[in-house]
Amino acid sequence: MRLVAAELVDSRQILPGQWLQSFHAPELATGSRAGQFVHVRTGDYSGLVLRRPFSINTADPATGIVTLHFRTVGRGTEWLTRVREGEKLDMLGPLGRPFEVDPRSRHLLLIAGGLGMAGVRMLADEAIRDGRQVTILFGALSAGHVYPSSLLPDEVEYVVATDDGSLGHHGYVTDLVQEYEAWADQAFACGPYPMLERLARLASGRRDRLGVAKLGRKRGRGKTDPLGSTGARRKAFLQVSMEQTMGCAVGACLGCTVIGVEGPLRVCREGPVFASDEIAWPQA
Amino acid sequence: MKAKKTVIAFGDMRLGVDSDRSRRTPTVRKPKGAMVPVDRFKPPVGRARVETGASAVADLGNPTAVQPTMAEREALDRIDLSVDLAPDRGLLLANPILVASGTFGYGVEYGEVVDVQRIGAICCKGTTLRPRAGNQPPRVTETPGGMLNSIGLQNPGVDAVIEKYGPIWQGWKVPVIVNVAGESIEDYVEVARRLDGVPGVAGIELNISCPNVGKGGLQFAIDRDAARAVTAAVRRATELPLLVKLSPNVADVRPIAKAIEEAGADAITAINTLSGLAVSPDRTRAFLGNTYGGLSGPAVKPVALRIVYEVAQVVSIPIVAIGGVTNLDDVLDFLACGAVAVQVGTAIFADPELPVRLGDELRAECLRRGLDSYRPLIGTALPQRTGPASAKGAEYRP
Ligand SMILES: Cc1cc2nc3c(=O)[nH]c(=O)nc-3n(C[C@H](O)[C@H](O)[C@H](O)COP(=O)(O)OP(=O)(O)OC[C@H]3O[C@@H](n4cnc5c(N)ncnc54)[C@H](O)[C@@H]3O)c2cc1C
Ligand SMILES: Cc1cc2nc3c(=O)[nH]c(=O)nc-3n(C[C@H](O)[C@H](O)[C@H](O)COP(=O)(O)O)c2cc1C
Ligand code: FES
Repeated sequence: MRLVAAELVDSRQILPGQWLQSFHAPELATGSRAGQFVHVRTGDYSGLVLRRPFSINTADPATGIVTLHFRTVGRGTEWLTRVREGEKLDMLGPLGRPFEVDPRSRHLLLIAGGLGMAGVRMLADEAIRDGRQVTILFGALSAGHVYPSSLLPDEVEYVVATDDGSLGHHGYVTDLVQEYEAWADQAFACGPYPMLERLARLASGRRDRLGVAKLGRKRGRGKTDPLGSTGARRKAFLQVSMEQTMGCAVGACLGCTVIGVEGPLRVCREGPVFASDEIAWPQA
Repeated sequence: MKAKKTVIAFGDMRLGVDSDRSRRTPTVRKPKGAMVPVDRFKPPVGRARVETGASAVADLGNPTAVQPTMAEREALDRIDLSVDLAPDRGLLLANPILVASGTFGYGVEYGEVVDVQRIGAICCKGTTLRPRAGNQPPRVTETPGGMLNSIGLQNPGVDAVIEKYGPIWQGWKVPVIVNVAGESIEDYVEVARRLDGVPGVAGIELNISCPNVGKGGLQFAIDRDAARAVTAAVRRATELPLLVKLSPNVADVRPIAKAIEEAGADAITAINTLSGLAVSPDRTRAFLGNTYGGLSGPAVKPVALRIVYEVAQVVSIPIVAIGGVTNLDDVLDFLACGAVAVQVGTAIFADPELPVRLGDELRAECLRRGLDSYRPLIGTALPQRTGPASAKGAEYRP
C-alpha cells in the first residue's frame, strides 16, 4: 500500500455512462492482485472530502498500466470523466485482500453483475496466465449494458444473461450457475448484493446437489483453516467481492464493515473479497 | 483552475527534544531564540497558497519541492513547536499537530504511508471496558464538505488494546493518548485504572459523548454534573495526563468546560462530532444503519472555532482544537482562538500525509514571521481579558 501518482493515459466511454480509464502507475501495476482496489482522491471543487474506491480492473506489469472501469453515479465519478490525459491522480493502493485461487483449481467460474465485471475482470487475466480455464457469467439489464466481449481475453468463455432477454439468457445471471457448478472448481463473484446473496445460497446447497464424495476428494479434508484465512478461502467454493461505503480504506476508521458470522468485517481490510461462508447473509 | 502545488521537503527534521525522554518527566529544551533573516526563504506553501483537503492533481513525488538551505534548515530546527498538554503531569509533544480519535485507528493501519513518529501525538480509537461490535452498517457517508459516521465504538476492549498495541506504542517516540469511552462512571474508571502504568500509554482522552446508562441514557457531555463527576472519578483513578473531549451538541458548553477543569482535567479537547442524519437514496429510511451519525470535516469547523473561542475564555488549562482541519489556515485559526494544539481527523482519509505536513508548514510559517516558537500565534483573536469573561457567542442562538 502506498500513495501513487497515476497519470491518465486513456479515457473512453465503453457503454452508456460506463468508463474505462487507463493510468500509467508502475507501482500499482506490479504490486496488485485480482480483487484488490485503489482509493482515489477527487478534486475539491465542490467539497468532496472522501476518496472513492474502485476495483483494479486490469494491471499490466509490462507496460505499467492499470485500468479502472466505473459508472458515473455521482459527483466523484463525474469528476473522474473530466480528468484529462496527462493529469495525475492521487491513488492509495493496492488495498484489500485479493481472490484466492487454489493451486489445484483448473476451472474457474467468474460471475459478474453489471459493474461487478470490474471486480472480477483481472482474475480472468491471472487465471489464463496460470493456464486455467475461465468461464464468465455476466448479467445486465439489457443488451445495451453488456460488457463488450472485445475487452475480454480470447481464451474465456463468455455467457450473458439480460433481464429483458434482449441478449443471451432471458433472466438473471444466477439462473446460469447450476449448469456450471459441476464443472467449476471455484467460483468468484462481484455484483449487486441480492445477486451475491443468491449465489451464497446456491453455493451452500451445492454440496448436497453434487454429492459429498466428489467434493471431499476435490477440496480435501483434514485440518480446517480458521475462517477468513487464506487457506480457508482457497478451499471455499465461492468467493464474493463486496462493497461498502468507505472512509479510510486502510482499516483505521471501521466505517466499511459488513456483518460476518463471527462479527463485523472490514471490507477494506478483511475484504473486499470474502469466502461466502464468512458473511452473515440475511437468511441462509 | 488547478494551482500547482508545492510542498517543502525537510527530510527527517527533528526537534530539540530528547528522543528517549520519559513522557512522565519531560524536559523542555528551550530554543536558543535566534532570529534569522527570513527574506531569503519564502516558503512556497504560504497561507493563501496552501491547497490541501483534496487536490485535483496528485502532488506525490514533489518534483517542485523546495529544499531549504543549510542555514534555513538550522533556523527551522531552532523553532520550538513543542507543547506540554499536561503541565502538572507532563505530556510533552514535539509538535502541536495530533491525529483525532477514530480516524487513525491504533496508529499502525496506514503503515508505510505515514511516518507516525513525526506526528505530535496519536489519539487512538475509542476504547471501552468490554469489546464492542459497533453499529449496523452502513456506518459512513459523505455529506457536503464533511461526512457522517456511526461506528458505534467498535473496539476489542481495553485489555486486548493493551495487549496488542501496548508493546508497539512503547517502541514509539510519538506519544499515544488512549481515547476512553464508557456507559457508566465505573466503566470509565476501570478502563483508566487498567491503562495506568501501561508502558506506551502517554495519556487518556475521555470521550464523554456517550450515553450514561446510569442516568437514563443522557450523555455525560451534555450534563455539567455528570461531566464533572466522570472527570473527577477518573482523576482519582489515574495519574496519567487526562484530557476530556467536549461535545458540541449542547446549548452552552462553557459551564461544562469549567466543571471539567475544576474536576482536575489536565486539558480540554474540542470538539467531537455534531449529531446529524442522512437519508437513503430511495428515501424510504435513514441511510446509516444506526439512523443518526456524527458530522465531521470542514463543514464543522466554524462550530469548532466558536466552541474553542468560548472555552478559551473560561478555562486556563490547555485546549486542543478538533474539527475540520484541512490546512495550515485552519491550524492558525484555531491557535488564534486560544487552542495550543489541534487534532486532524476526517481530512486524513483524503490526505494521510496531512498531519505530518502541517507540522512542517507551521514551522515554516513561524520562520516566515520571524518567530522562534509558535506560541505567539495562540489566542490572538480572543477579546482582551479585562473584567469578566465575554458572553459573546451565546448571543447568536436563534
Ligand atoms: C471495494 C470497492 C470497489 C469498487 N469498485 C468499483 C468499480 O470498479 N467500478 C465502479 O463503478 N464502482 C466501484 N465501486 C463503487 C464506487 O466506489 C462508487 O460508485 C463511487 O464511490 C461513487 O462515487 P460518486 O462520488 O460518483 O457518487 P456519490 O453517490 O456522490 O458518492 C458519495 C459517497 O458514497 C460512496 N459510495 C457511493 N456509492 C457507493 C458504492 N456503491 N459502494 C461504496 N461506496 C459508495 C462514495 O464513495 C462517496 O463517499 C466500488 C466500491 C468499493 C467499496
Ligand atoms: C470515522 C470516525 C470515527 C470517530 N471515532 C471517535 C471515537 O471513537 N472517539 C472520539 O472521541 N471521537 C471519534 N471521532 C471524532 C473525531 O475524533 C473528531 O472529534 C471529529 O471527527 C471532528 O474532527 P474532524 O472534523 O477533523 O474529523 C470519530 C470521527 C470519525 C470521522
Ligand atoms: S474504510 Fe476505514 S476501516 Fe474500512
